[in-house]
Amino acid sequence: MSTTTQMLKGLLEGCLLALIAKGETYGYEMTEKLKEYHFTMVSEGSIYPVLMRLQKNNYVTSVMRKSPNGPKRKYYSITEEGLEELERFKEQWEKLSAGIFSLLEEGDEEDAI
Amino acid sequence: MLSKEAEQFMLELRMYLMSKGKNEQEIEEVILELEDHLLQAEAEGRNIKDITGDSPREYMKSISREMSFDKREFLTLAPMTVLLISAFLVFTPAMRGDFSLSKISVWGITIVTILSIFLYGFLIVRVLPKFFNSKWFYVIGLATFLVVTGFFVIVELLDNDPFFVATPLQNKLLVIGCIVIFVAWAIYAKTWMTIIVPFFLSWGPMAERLIPDHINEDPFYIALTIMIFTLIAIIGGVLFFLYRKNKKNKTMNQ
Repeated sequence: MSTTTQMLKGLLEGCLLALIAKGETYGYEMTEKLKEYHFTMVSEGSIYPVLMRLQKNNYVTSVMRKSPNGPKRKYYSITEEGLEELERFKEQWEKLSAGIFSLLEEGDEEDAI
Repeated sequence: MLSKEAEQFMLELRMYLMSKGKNEQEIEEVILELEDHLLQAEAEGRNIKDITGDSPREYMKSISREMSFDKREFLTLAPMTVLLISAFLVFTPAMRGDFSLSKISVWGITIVTILSIFLYGFLIVRVLPKFFNSKWFYVIGLATFLVVTGFFVIVELLDNDPFFVATPLQNKLLVIGCIVIFVAWAIYAKTWMTIIVPFFLSWGPMAERLIPDHINEDPFYIALTIMIFTLIAIIGGVLFFLYRKNKKNKTMNQ
């Protein structure tokens, strides 16, 4: 597994939580939005196992409803626990990205000298 | 409409998850969800590989890992299935009034039954979905059926040294026991199949009393009858499966 794939796997969970927190949504729409934000996925389908895990952990709930164009569709919405988890993810991400960012920056400066 | 490749993948996924003993309801949900996604993605010109990534097999595993093993369903289904298979094997000889057990028949039939369950399981889950749209599907299916039936016939033929021969009363009790199992299954699975198939199976022993002996003892006719009835049982099984699936879909669409 490439480094990118492993990095993405961990981040996808937080990103999906953030998307669902913006309002009720379904699988295909989430992949479209992730693309809009230029988030690269390993593959579109990789969101589904993550969604299943989110639901198992009670971070999201889902309902099956008829979609406008026919077949049944699974709509997700966030729970209280999900919102808490999202806050934790945000905090961790800020710490982590700040750390990595300054580390990489420093390296660049050393290279420049 | 889904493309052939997509349909094939969905079928493989369903079989894979079922073989891993996952909860039926959960399987149905994830299948519906992926179907919905694929429909939209294919309508926009993307294909199945964009969704599953390079390895469909890996993708199936990643889904399977997130699903729970349905212990309760498995624990009721497994013994019920063993009972049903035994009932089918016992029913005809008991009806005929000559149920007997010999070492060869007990071990032979147990081993052959287990082997054929594994063979059919492997075939249905791993092999047949790949050939779903080609004529090989039927060729492989028929070949396996012939091999399995052949084993049963060989065991039948070797069977000549019984250590237990049922008395007429025991035969009747066995028939009643079988009928109880068939009815219980029919109620449990909400299907008429386990009643209809034994009903047809009972024609054989009935006919045996009416058909002249020289036809009756011809191995060709015996083999033919066994095959026809096994075919009926298999078709019954497939119909039952489709019927249940159909019913499930209907209830989910309401």
